[in-house]
Amino acid sequence: MLKTMRDYIKSLFLLELFKGMKLTGYYLFTKEFTVQYPEERAPMSPRFRGLHAQRRYENGEERCIACKLCEAVCPAQAITIEAEPREDGSRRTTRYDIDLFKCIFCGYCQESCPVDAIVETRVYEYTRDPSNRVIDKEELLKIGDKYEAQISADIAAQAKHR
Amino acid sequence: MGFKSQPMTNVVETPDKGSLFTPEIRARIDKWIVKYPEGWQQSAVMPALRIVQEENGGWLTTELMDDVAAYLDMPAIAVYEVATFYSMYELKPVGRHKICVCTNVSCMINGSDGIRGHLEKKLGITFGQVTEDGKFSMKEVECLGACGGAPMMQIGKEYYENLTPDEVDRILDGLE
Amino acid sequence: MSEQLVTIEIDGREVKAKAGAMLIDVADEAGIHIPRFCYHKKLSVSANCRMCLVEVEKVPRPLPACATPVNDGMKVKTQSPLAVTAQQGTMEFLLINHPLDCPICDQGGECELQDVAVGYGSDVCRYVEGKRVVADKNIGPLVATDLTRCIQCTRCVRFGAEIAGVRELGATGRGEHMQIGTYIEKSVDSELSGNIIDVCPVGSLTSKPFRFRARAWELVQRDAVAPHDSMGSNVHLHLRNGEIMRVVPKENEAVNECWLSDRDRYSYQGIYSEDRLTKPLVKKDGEWQEVDWKEALEAAANGLKAAAGGDGDQLAALVSPNSTQEEIWLAKKLLQGMGSDNIDYRLRQGDFRPGQPDRPWLGMAIAELEELDAVLIIGANPRQDQPLLGHRLRKAAMKGATITYINPLQLVLNYRSSQWVTTPAGMLEELAAVGKGLNLRRGIIAQTKAEDRHKALAASLKEAGKAAVLLGPMALAHPDASMIWGLADAVAESSGATLGLLPEAANSTGAGMICEAENNGKVRELLENPRKGYLLCNLEPSLDLHDPALAGKAFDKAEFVVALSAFRGDSLDAAADVQLPLATFGETSGTFVNAAGDWQSFAGAAKPLGEARPGWKILRVLGNVLEISGFDQDDCGQVLAEIEESLAGRKPENKVKVDVNEERWMPAEGMARIGDVPIYAADPLVRRASALQETVHHVEAAVRINAETAKGLGLEEGGQALVSQGDGQATLPVVIDETVPANCARVQSALAGTEKLGAAFGAVTLTKA
Repeated sequence: MLKTMRDYIKSLFLLELFKGMKLTGYYLFTKEFTVQYPEERAPMSPRFRGLHAQRRYENGEERCIACKLCEAVCPAQAITIEAEPREDGSRRTTRYDIDLFKCIFCGYCQESCPVDAIVETRVYEYTRDPSNRVIDKEELLKIGDKYEAQISADIAAQAKHR
Repeated sequence: MGFKSQPMTNVVETPDKGSLFTPEIRARIDKWIVKYPEGWQQSAVMPALRIVQEENGGWLTTELMDDVAAYLDMPAIAVYEVATFYSMYELKPVGRHKICVCTNVSCMINGSDGIRGHLEKKLGITFGQVTEDGKFSMKEVECLGACGGAPMMQIGKEYYENLTPDEVDRILDGLE
Repeated sequence: MSEQLVTIEIDGREVKAKAGAMLIDVADEAGIHIPRFCYHKKLSVSANCRMCLVEVEKVPRPLPACATPVNDGMKVKTQSPLAVTAQQGTMEFLLINHPLDCPICDQGGECELQDVAVGYGSDVCRYVEGKRVVADKNIGPLVATDLTRCIQCTRCVRFGAEIAGVRELGATGRGEHMQIGTYIEKSVDSELSGNIIDVCPVGSLTSKPFRFRARAWELVQRDAVAPHDSMGSNVHLHLRNGEIMRVVPKENEAVNECWLSDRDRYSYQGIYSEDRLTKPLVKKDGEWQEVDWKEALEAAANGLKAAAGGDGDQLAALVSPNSTQEEIWLAKKLLQGMGSDNIDYRLRQGDFRPGQPDRPWLGMAIAELEELDAVLIIGANPRQDQPLLGHRLRKAAMKGATITYINPLQLVLNYRSSQWVTTPAGMLEELAAVGKGLNLRRGIIAQTKAEDRHKALAASLKEAGKAAVLLGPMALAHPDASMIWGLADAVAESSGATLGLLPEAANSTGAGMICEAENNGKVRELLENPRKGYLLCNLEPSLDLHDPALAGKAFDKAEFVVALSAFRGDSLDAAADVQLPLATFGETSGTFVNAAGDWQSFAGAAKPLGEARPGWKILRVLGNVLEISGFDQDDCGQVLAEIEESLAGRKPENKVKVDVNEERWMPAEGMARIGDVPIYAADPLVRRASALQETVHHVEAAVRINAETAKGLGLEEGGQALVSQGDGQATLPVVIDETVPANCARVQSALAGTEKLGAAFGAVTLTKA
């Protein structure tokens, strides 16, 4: 009986509504934390694991030495490598494919690489259709060339934690 | 059946040993060969190399080492191994007078660095080089067992001990 | 060494061992692992790596297990603090100069140093000074060097000195400057050189053709039997995605021990050569056209049927002795189904007179070769024909056996032997004279005179505990092969020696058991009286036959030739009407019977390239298309069971029934051709193995004569000579070669440029061209 009375008074004076409006009013005047993607971007960690890239040394030589550790460690078996001696006798890949549909972006390839050749960049905005799921060596190197400044800065930032 | 319990002989023996070296050199090597049991002529490789080196102005060519191998019926590579192992076999041309300067501890404490510096300045060459006229070459050697007279050097078969720069000058000037 | 047994204790376990055995062997047998680098069970002990240091009670310092003989009551600890500290110290020293380049090292993943470093290495390197660098050397097309990685165990040097029998590699310099190499720029040319890759515990010596192509963990291992010589070496095939990446030996003490010849190791490259036949081909109006299997098999069946025209004798099959038992059996059955017995495998035999053994073989187990005390070898170059059989003979020689060769060539051997070099006709005289030395009087033996050396050899064969008379491929290719068999049999019989054959091909012995010589066809007759239809299996007419000129004519006259071949080649293109793509070594299952009569079956490992199919499947389906009964096997094993049932336990045997007074077909006067087969030209597969063809053993067709003969003919080195044999002629460069006897011309068979010439051994004329 008493409960029915209390509910009646609450609904008569719209108490619940004012409670909600109070919360709304609070956030109306506090600092907002949503970002207006794509005009605005959230901050990212240097360890962000996005699209893969292959790096080069400063003299333009590709870093990858075809040791195939990334291929071996990849839990999704997304990496396919073929290698043979290049004309100058050095060990190089003739094929380096990553199946982006298989990749789970775990970053093990980057961890296992002894020469920091394969890395995962901060790039996460890309689309691929199923007929074009494999990213090849040429493309990986192109991505590497484009984002080299960011990649090397990220690696330098993490270096002290390794 | 290792090659330590058996002579490392070639299967095909050199048929015509008379064409190798001069009769005098052959006679000198043969003197050493007879000191070892029959079939173990390879044991004479060290004296043979020394004799051949002496006769060739103090150094060994690959062809001479091949001839020694043929003369002793052993594989050429086994002779190369011996010649490269011991530092007293020279594989590059040397001067008429090979100046061997000891730089080991006793000589070093007693000033072998100064002797070396003096020699380098005087002759214009350093260890492992030959003067342009082919008269002198310098070589760094390990202890020659004359620590009592440190610093010391060896030229040809002579030891020169208790050296000073002046003494070195005197010795070198006295050489042909 | 005494056979006395002693009891020792290793890590608290009691172990019985032969007195004087090395500690490391005893521990290995007991399953206790001691790390090692320089020790190898087949090589002498050098004890220079110090990795196998162990603690022995009552000895104040650690001892190397590889150089410590066991004594009764010895107490050994392999895991005590002293032993482990010593091993860790050694490891640290070894790693001082070892580069940290495992990611680019082909040995990575299968490296003894890597494995031991995991167990005994430290995770921190205390050494901060400069590391040693050694320049790589080019030691030929088979073995790649990365000498900076060398830990100076000298296994490769000892392998060369003790197993290969040629000291090619050495350790020059001293201490830190010690280097493995040849000192002068030189390639390592031994026919067993590839084994240094296996003995090298690190990545210093690796396979050049395999270089950088795959990692150890990507490879799938399958067993197989090597397809080139009559050893039947056991091998492991290493595959990646169904493709053979390399071949390594599989240990079998009774056959190849732990070694493998270069030919067996590197011939896999031929499988992926450019002229591999991958689709069935049918010749239509003189043009080759790719067709599907159905059409090709129908064309083959119809062609053969039409050629036979109801007369089975008009059909003949020539099968390579490198074919599997199953292939040969089904080919024989196919022919029988069409009413023909004309099948033969003796492609390089020069004489088919009766009385030669039906099912020839080595006459003993392979391992028995090394226990022989006296051996007479006629017409063979084992180092080239069967490299690992040659190694067994070398072992016998090193134990003190007297080995005598009667050959038309001076061989380059790696052990001491007597070589009697004579003309092909003279080989019979020499052999007969040995018979005379044994007081025989039969046939031509009576006409010869035994000199002292013949008598000495006769006596040594007679007195030896174990003796053998062995015939080789050059004896079989001889125009008087039957006489050689007869004489050899006479010598063997009266001296108590074992008579044997060193067969040339992987399945010569097995093929002999299926195609029994007396009942079936004979290659020479089948070509001299051309048949209308031929079935060729796994051979190239111009290169794999004794008389390519004769074969060319026979196939030209034939109405229809079906070829099962893995490769395309000019001579096959010219001869055949249908070419069916055959699966090669590694791709097909089957069985080989080696020289010693061991049946060794293997399964197909790699995927046949393109539309190629295993030979037994092709023949089986061809049998179905021809509607012959008995072609309903579902797998290779059923075919094998059928063969075994049909042979009913028959064994190979060297029963000779030759009257040694027959006519001699090799003229004693005039110029004689010596047509031996070069080591890397023996069969279609090895001829296409690119790395082997780059070695010094690769030869081009040439006329090799000695200086004296050349002078008499007005020929000189580098000039050209016109070689005429029968109606065939070839112009070939002249090479002066003092290993060839006077009045002989060594014009090797199985080489491009010799296809117009006749029999491998026979009369030739040389003129200046």
